[in-house]
Amino acid sequence: MVFFGLGGLLQFSVLLINAIAILSEDRFLARIGWTSSADPGFGGQRDDGIKARLVNLVSSVRTLMRIPLMFINTAMIIYLLIFG
Amino acid sequence: MYQNPPPAHSPPLHHPVPQHVSTVPQLRSPPPPQPPSQPQSGYGYGQQHAMPAQQGAYGGNIPPAFGGFINDPTAQLGFQMGKSAMNAGQEYVEQNFGRFISVSALKHYFNVSNTYVANKLWIVLFPWRHRPWSRQQRMANNPSDVFYLPPREDINSPDMYIPMMALVTYILLSTLLAGLRGAFKPELLGYTTTQAISVMLLEILIIKLGTFLLNISSSSQLLDLVAYSGYKFVGVIVSLLLTSLFSQLNFGGAWISWVVFVYCFNANAFFLLRSLRYVLLPESNPQGVGGGAAGYTSSRSQKSARTQFLFVYSYVIQLGFMLWLSKV
Repeated sequence: MVFFGLGGLLQFSVLLINAIAILSEDRFLARIGWTSSADPGFGGQRDDGIKARLVNLVSSVRTLMRIPLMFINTAMIIYLLIFG
Repeated sequence: MYQNPPPAHSPPLHHPVPQHVSTVPQLRSPPPPQPPSQPQSGYGYGQQHAMPAQQGAYGGNIPPAFGGFINDPTAQLGFQMGKSAMNAGQEYVEQNFGRFISVSALKHYFNVSNTYVANKLWIVLFPWRHRPWSRQQRMANNPSDVFYLPPREDINSPDMYIPMMALVTYILLSTLLAGLRGAFKPELLGYTTTQAISVMLLEILIIKLGTFLLNISSSSQLLDLVAYSGYKFVGVIVSLLLTSLFSQLNFGGAWISWVVFVYCFNANAFFLLRSLRYVLLPESNPQGVGGGAAGYTSSRSQKSARTQFLFVYSYVIQLGFMLWLSKV
């Protein structure tokens, strides 16, 4: 049985966030039409489809997690070099 | 009238008052500090004469017997220090835990009774005939403030007592079964614990992602989802127990463990399907009369997507997790 614990869960989530964060905006996301459209103005109707929210999530992760991911990845690489 | 001017006599008259205040800390001693033979010596210089005599009488007045130890100032100091330390510790805990989860909200989930636990276990293992699945609400003083009844009074309310006990039982049971097979290691306890907890975390992550993507904004909290993700341990425990029992008795074969597992999985999935309805499919009241057909169709498609997610969550994802947990 493959052991999957909290460390595995952490690794899994970090790798997943990394995978989202390295998606290139103009080379990949724009080509398949996953760029977020213009923000709705005040009183504008928000597009609430699943795809719109997924696009929103991807762009938020790319914006928000870029700098923290550097530190997290560095810490993880050092940890795995020493103890892994 | 002018023979005795007040300024000449006032300093000795007003002088004792601050002296009395300064002696107050020394008087903070057991309740009967003054022997009855000594009258209250009032204000003035008599107080200073009374002090040494009173302290001398104090040692002899309180008997050093067992009953007197509560009156002992040292013990009282100890009590006070212990009480303040307890309060400080409690405050610390409340501050640090209350930042993440409120303790009063957690207390709501542990408000269970014996009949509730028995009935709920029965429902989790045999949910087919249970009829009303909706949680009961009660109005508070103002009608806009509606809260759910605690598990003690509402059988459909989620609790955390059963999931927590089932989690602990699952950990102990799986290590016990490993021990009966002769494969016990002390690390197995830790492995099973982290595995079970990470399964719960992963499940909550999945359902949170689903509610975000489907734009479900319901009033239910995260703790409800934590509680519901723990009920599957009951089914896992039952299937583990029956499987090992049947294999001990040499009754049936490999198929009977599968039958038990499939039954437990189906019961748990049905239970979750019915219980999570109010989380994932909240009653969307119509916004207005002028909503029109467009809003109707969009809510229709939204509702079908939500129903599919509910089904996938409570059958497919639960199947994976329960299979994973059952393979000890």
